Amino acid sequence: MIISKKVEFSASHICRSPHLSDAENERVYGAAANPLSHGHNYVIEVAIQGEPDAVTGMILDLKRLKDVLEERVLAVYDHRLLNREVAAFENVVPTVENIAIDIWNRMESHIDATGRAKLYSVRVHETNELFVEYRGEYRGGE
Amino acid sequence: MTVHLSRKYGFSATHRLHAKGLSDAENRTIYGKCNNPHGHGHNYEVEITVAGPVDAVTGRAVDLAALDALAAREVIDPLRYRDLNEEVEAFRTEVPTTENLTSEVDRRLRAAWPGVFPSGTPRLEKIRIWETERNICEVGPL
Repeated sequence: MIISKKVEFSASHICRSPHLSDAENERVYGAAANPLSHGHNYVIEVAIQGEPDAVTGMILDLKRLKDVLEERVLAVYDHRLLNREVAAFENVVPTVENIAIDIWNRMESHIDATGRAKLYSVRVHETNELFVEYRGEYRGGE
Repeated sequence: MTVHLSRKYGFSATHRLHAKGLSDAENRTIYGKCNNPHGHGHNYEVEITVAGPVDAVTGRAVDLAALDALAAREVIDPLRYRDLNEEVEAFRTEVPTTENLTSEVDRRLRAAWPGVFPSGTPRLEKIRIWETERNICEVGPL
């Protein structure tokens, strides 16, 4: 069984790679290559896989999941310039793809200390028209 | 590191659900108000999901400008503001239900895919079409 929780954060980013020329950056990222940055209201959906506990009827403690999301993701991402203020993007372009991977890496080992429930997927919606889903390194190709 | 990236597009068009192999009475029973001989329209939304690795330099799983151009050329421009029954070849024989429309969009994108993404990366994962908020059809791996 899979249970999903949705949270939002707002942040700015610059989609430019130092390995590409100005012209290439403009072509690859379009308006998102603006060196002065631009922002989005991101919506994250974190899906957890597990079976409901026989006593509580719950896959995991949702209050704890909320705390983990706040500590591991929102405290790091919300109202930040991702390129400058989030360590993962020091040398990596903060595209929505790389944001999904970083959020997965931040969350994966913090879901459930007993190992009963585990992270299934991370979806990051950058706009209403664009979202990415990452299911981890091993199951991604399924 | 495979990610699944989804991008949404829209077009408005007219259609009429009427199967030539059925009587007028049967058509009215099966399709209800969608059988109106004058046709009717929808604001369709088309979601294209691709799957592939994230490029180490660009941080992108797909060239979004190329995907946008492909969707515009093969799907949005040929279908927008059209009467699907009268102006789209596939629907001279098939009824333009959301099911058949989703299959047609899938066929068009799969036929053109190698011309735009000759390496086969990313791959076309699935197509979802919203005919209305409540009527959604999906073609591709579940």
